[in-house]
Amino acid sequence: MAVYHAVGASAPRTDALGKVTGRTPFPGDLVMEGMLHIKILFAGRPHARIVRIDTSAAQAAPGVVAVLTARDVPVNEYGLIVPDQPVLCGPGSSKSGADVVRWEGDQVALVVADTEEQAAAGRDLISIEWEELPAVFWVNEATQPGAPQLHPGSPGNQLVHWLIRWGEMEAGWAASAVIVEGEYQTPFQEHAYLQPEAGLGYLDESGRVTVQVAGQWTHEDRKQICHALNLPEGQVRVVYPAIGGAFGGREDMSVQIVLALAAWRTGRPVKIVWSREESIIGHPKRHPMTIRTRWGADRDGRLTAVEATTWADAGAYASTTTKVLGNANLMVTGPYRVPNARVDTYGIYTNNPPGGAFRGFGGPQAAFAAESQMNKLAQALGLDPVELRMRNLLEDGDLMPVGTPLPPGVTIRQVTERCALEAGWKHGDDGWSRPDLAGPAPQRARGIGIGCAFKNVGFSFGYPEQSWAKIELIGGRQIERVVLYQAGADVGQGAHTVMMQMAAEAVGVPLERVRLVPSDTATSLNSGTTSASRLSFMSGNAIRGAAERALVAWQGEERPAVGEYLYRAPATTPYDPQTGACEPNFAYGYVAQAAEVEVDLETGQIRLIRVISTNDVGRALNPQQVEGQIEGSVVQAQGYVLLENLVVEGGRVRTPHLSTYLIPTVLDVPDEIRTVVLELADPRGPFGARGMAEMPFLPLAPAVTAAVHDAVGIWFDSFPLTPDRVWRRLQASEHCRPRP
Amino acid sequence: MLPDYDSLAPATWAEALAALAAQPDVVPIAGGTNVVVGMRAGELRGRTLMDINRLPELHGIRVSDGHVVIGGGTTVAELLASPAITEHAYPLHQAAAAFANPLVRNRATIGGNLVDASPAADTYPPLLVLDAEVELVSLHGVRWLPLDQFVLGVNQTERRPEELLRSVRWPLAPERSAGLHHKLALRKGTACSVMSAAVRVDTDQLGRCTAARIALGAVAPRPIRAHEAEQSLVGESLTEVTIRRAAQLAGQACRPIDDVRSSAAYRRRVAEVVVRRLLTAVDLELKEGAQA
Repeated sequence: MAVYHAVGASAPRTDALGKVTGRTPFPGDLVMEGMLHIKILFAGRPHARIVRIDTSAAQAAPGVVAVLTARDVPVNEYGLIVPDQPVLCGPGSSKSGADVVRWEGDQVALVVADTEEQAAAGRDLISIEWEELPAVFWVNEATQPGAPQLHPGSPGNQLVHWLIRWGEMEAGWAASAVIVEGEYQTPFQEHAYLQPEAGLGYLDESGRVTVQVAGQWTHEDRKQICHALNLPEGQVRVVYPAIGGAFGGREDMSVQIVLALAAWRTGRPVKIVWSREESIIGHPKRHPMTIRTRWGADRDGRLTAVEATTWADAGAYASTTTKVLGNANLMVTGPYRVPNARVDTYGIYTNNPPGGAFRGFGGPQAAFAAESQMNKLAQALGLDPVELRMRNLLEDGDLMPVGTPLPPGVTIRQVTERCALEAGWKHGDDGWSRPDLAGPAPQRARGIGIGCAFKNVGFSFGYPEQSWAKIELIGGRQIERVVLYQAGADVGQGAHTVMMQMAAEAVGVPLERVRLVPSDTATSLNSGTTSASRLSFMSGNAIRGAAERALVAWQGEERPAVGEYLYRAPATTPYDPQTGACEPNFAYGYVAQAAEVEVDLETGQIRLIRVISTNDVGRALNPQQVEGQIEGSVVQAQGYVLLENLVVEGGRVRTPHLSTYLIPTVLDVPDEIRTVVLELADPRGPFGARGMAEMPFLPLAPAVTAAVHDAVGIWFDSFPLTPDRVWRRLQASEHCRPRP
Repeated sequence: MLPDYDSLAPATWAEALAALAAQPDVVPIAGGTNVVVGMRAGELRGRTLMDINRLPELHGIRVSDGHVVIGGGTTVAELLASPAITEHAYPLHQAAAAFANPLVRNRATIGGNLVDASPAADTYPPLLVLDAEVELVSLHGVRWLPLDQFVLGVNQTERRPEELLRSVRWPLAPERSAGLHHKLALRKGTACSVMSAAVRVDTDQLGRCTAARIALGAVAPRPIRAHEAEQSLVGESLTEVTIRRAAQLAGQACRPIDDVRSSAAYRRRVAEVVVRRLLTAVDLELKEGAQA
């Protein structure tokens, strides 16, 4: 392996001191002289037409400077993939259908006032005449004839349908010795980042409409703002200060457009801070999915056929649903050699909160079904689950059901093998066998389970993936300072530190000499988004390119020596509409996890005792940050499978506070999380690195349900495994009745 | 956002009582962990807040005349740190350890927890099994009420608007007595109970139960005592059979509801399980005590 001086070391976070001392401003901390405050009137109902909106009382209220409604938005629409969402819902706007609210989080009006209290008081004076519309909250009802229709261009409320047709299903089933069928249901998940949506809008010194906000992609935010306000890109600027977590939940517009609109309309600085309740109601969630699937294997445990149909609740608007489901469609057959496959994946509009991006991006739902099927197949065949995987895992050159191989450097086998060994599995002459566990406490049972997964790095299916960076080398005889321009957002994961490490490495100077000019559309071109585990990979390749050019300029005696580079990732292709054939992705990370649980047979409480997470990250650019991402993924996935329970009834979130929507606390994390980092270089990655910050989320849920099955003999095909739900199943199971 | 409010900061106990007598809608505020949350949610119980943190009458933990007496302004963190509480009120110590999180424990007071009277209030079950009484003081005088009579329903108590809860006391436990508390929640920190329970058993020299207390939280509109379950143990030795019967009776005493945390059926069932486990552990402790 190559020897590096700056990458590969756990450099302390460059943002650490400011954050731990409280000096670093987050969007909610920003203030400007003379700034006004915004409160948003949310729809608060799942489906209704606004017949009339009367803002006169609000406008006359003390301190109120402006009340903005749909009429005030020049191009009243936005959306990352389809502009199907009104900025503000109400009559009289430029967009047809914008007078209808389609979920409770739709935004209706902005009240801009001298104080936040006055803005809230004004908001409460807005009078609306509603015409309630029939609403639909279940995917299976939304697809029925006669169901309420949400968007005219999507008959049957069908937003998207992806498919794969591969091989001969009849031949596959005929070759099967065992067939396992399952129906899996996965729940909503809320991002619950530390920092609720907030920001500041103003006209900057050049008169540009400027928004300082926490997002994931400065240039896309700017594009969305420009579209809605009908302004050229040169007149809008987006700047990210410190960002308090994102996890995909900041990809969609929340306060970006309304801040720009209010600053532009009033000409004054405007500020908004959402409460936790507004945050939980106001941004998209992880898609709930129902996955019905059938897997066949021959007597030797080799997969013969996989059939899978997935229905995802897209909620009220498209958001990133089509892309999330593209991933789910690809990953629902798992990282396995599947000779025959028939896969259908549907995204369906409902009046629920929109489904959007969330760490794993369709992968966790698909992995839950695929890995659960593998675990059940192992049981049906009388094979150890590790042994079954070893007989089916993809290797270099194997074709996926989309007809192409994974990019070179497929390491899922190494990762799974290492995980099994670390967890105590034995590999003997008869193949793999599970570890013995310590005896449980009375009235408890213990079990262990395993799962593995692959996660794409970067945007997929034909997207022109690229990232820009610029490097300036300053000095005389030697390089005294390196200035890196890169807009990739550090959402709290430490990306800026890693970018600076890569710049130091690529230029050949110590890290201390590197300075970063981050996340400002006024200083950077488009570096792309912080999502799809792409930032280290894409920014790293852009930084390497920029450094190479800057060094050439330096050799040419230019001072400062400047290098700019636009990295273009290897091309991918979209799904073929008839067969699904494609070149889906240019890079992947590979992961396997084992989980050990203890189930209280009388209360249904599940304790996650230990998790072994084995991750091929290609090259750990900053090992401490890599470990942080793995542990964070594990705990977030622990919340997903065991605890987090977003209750949505009639389209309304019943758990809009962190006192009712529970996420794990530090006391709840597993007794042991063992992170095992493998560095099996990706030939395409910068310094060999793969993206890694999503993949440790994927296998935990199926590993935990397998462990629960190992403990009590019950398969849970839906979650969260709350004590009440587990207890009900234990009650019904002879095997698990509390001993007399 | 906090709504507008007026505030008072009486320097003396007499001033505080006078203010309450003059203006019954004054809301006393100590830690504010309920009051401020309620205000943010638009549930202002009165327009004037009265800061009672600095009144010395509300502070202190002492053991005298066969009682433990603690000021109503004692914080949960102070309970947790007090050797007297650990020694004389172990179930309360356990409840304090399971209470919210360290930040809230630094602010929240025992008086606030009792006066707020959430069905899930953590300090009720342990104080109920300790036979605690609360001292209510107004300009008209002082009265002591057994805690079981003090609490009426969801956020409802016998406290009159002009009264302050000055202190809480309970008798020192006799010899051969043991008590324990358990909180069942969906997570380990910063959690509201799904249900909680405390038990206490006093025994004679032969190990027979002379008195039993079983209290349950979050299974009824108010924290409750399971009287029938308690009675079933009196005169009996703790055995698997007597413990199981008492636990069943405790489960039957529950009147739980369905909510976002769990179903009523689950609450009733785990109440029985938790009481059985607590009584079993208490029995073990008493037997170990007898051998020592």
